[in-house]
Amino acid sequence: MSANNPGFTADAPAMLVPGWARSMAIATRAVFIVLGMAILVQALFVVQARPQDLVTGFHGMVDIVHRSMPPDFSALPDAAWPALETIDIGLFGTIMGIILAVPLSVLAAANVTPSRWLYYVSRAVIGFTRAVPDLVWALLFVTAVGLGPFPGGLALAVHSVGMLGRLFAETIENMDMAPIDALSLTGASRLQVFTHGVVPSVLPALAGIGLYRLDENIRSSLVLGFVGAGGIGFQLLTAMNLFQYRQVSLLLMVVFVIVFAAERLSAVCRERLA
Amino acid sequence: MPDARLSVRGLGLRYPNGTHALRGVDLEVRAGELLIVLGGNGCGKTTLLRCVTRALAPTTGEVWLGGQNLASLNGEQLRRARQALALIGQHAALVRRRSVIANVACGALARHKTIWTNLGGLPSSELPGALTCLGQVGLSDLAERRAGNLSGGQAQRVAIARALLQHPLVLLADEPVASLDPEAANEIMRLLRRLAHDQGLAVLCVLHQVDLAFAYADRVVGMRDGQVAFDRQRAHLAMDDVQSLYTARAA
Repeated sequence: MSANNPGFTADAPAMLVPGWARSMAIATRAVFIVLGMAILVQALFVVQARPQDLVTGFHGMVDIVHRSMPPDFSALPDAAWPALETIDIGLFGTIMGIILAVPLSVLAAANVTPSRWLYYVSRAVIGFTRAVPDLVWALLFVTAVGLGPFPGGLALAVHSVGMLGRLFAETIENMDMAPIDALSLTGASRLQVFTHGVVPSVLPALAGIGLYRLDENIRSSLVLGFVGAGGIGFQLLTAMNLFQYRQVSLLLMVVFVIVFAAERLSAVCRERLA
Repeated sequence: MPDARLSVRGLGLRYPNGTHALRGVDLEVRAGELLIVLGGNGCGKTTLLRCVTRALAPTTGEVWLGGQNLASLNGEQLRRARQALALIGQHAALVRRRSVIANVACGALARHKTIWTNLGGLPSSELPGALTCLGQVGLSDLAERRAGNLSGGQAQRVAIARALLQHPLVLLADEPVASLDPEAANEIMRLLRRLAHDQGLAVLCVLHQVDLAFAYADRVVGMRDGQVAFDRQRAHLAMDDVQSLYTARAA
């Protein structure tokens, strides 16, 4: 076949390399494989992995699943309000997060920021809100405003600022500046350049990021219920503590429907924006 | 010479490090004329345009447009006087997410500084005019299309329509066909010539393609080392003149 094709064949580069270099390449590869395995082994050691316990404990899992069947559909009406609460915590957190993140991201985008000083301050605020997990924010707000959905919404809002602010700022920084320059040269006012050039260019991307965050926030708001921040997560925790496994399985079904619906809805909206 | 729309006199630009980007450039663009500026890389063609639009401040010389010397103006006065200049660049620089007609209408924003347009609304009284401009570039049927879905040649024509709605005295073009295939490039050049001849617009176009200059220009200015090397009607232009632009530096 190489007679028909005098050009490069697949093994041609290998033939051009001297023998010792090939041995070196093989040795390097071996070192990387051993290193990778060592990293995996130390992880197994540190998490105290005991597969045998999984086998012996299997009947416990079967027992719980057995006790949670069939789901207790009579609890469905009671789950409706907490479910709505969970969705609304996610909505509140996302909308408040967007309201806070938009001005911050304008300050934190290197190409439009009015001053270096504001740039660093807003970058620091965005970094800090992202670095502190939403569960910790929820605990803080529960101590501040008491149990219920409100601290959950606040926690998601503050934590969302971190992610939204950073992605918004990056979107603004990556914006094509040519249309902006072209508009300012026509003699349009600065505000006109902003509303006719900058806003239409970045709005779809910002809306897409916001919708993605809404999907994440609805999932997070389930977990926040575990620390007392309202919603269906709190209901789930209570049912587990009371060993009401048939109620737990119903609530998990509700959770699944909410998460799946939020994800699909957000994906469909984002597709239409693209 | 009749009706010089734009007249550049003794324009010079010296960078702080001492290099001269432009030395005493004189040229005129008249109504109804397509003037093409040729020259090698770094000869000062684009710098000349940037000095005319005052993206760069020239160190010496005058730029006369509509009875005003742009080189002596600043701030709001400059912004207002500059509206008589429209610029199209190598890329169409459209807002890709908006419709074609919205992009064209943006050319009229400077005449409509109202609350509505400041909030992102289009000046509705300008929409018929915007459609007319689109018709002039042959794209009336694409008015509702999203600007991001156009081909390179179409996008450049929309940019020209936007420039026309600005009602400019002079249309400046900085290598408008550099990123287009030959067919689209010829179309754009034909359009520029038609706008000059039929509408009486003064068009100043910087180009790299010698063949296009020979095919479409009314007059050709050759630049070398920041100076005007020749300024001829196309009929009097010889290939040797043009070749000297690209070889003299090496000699």
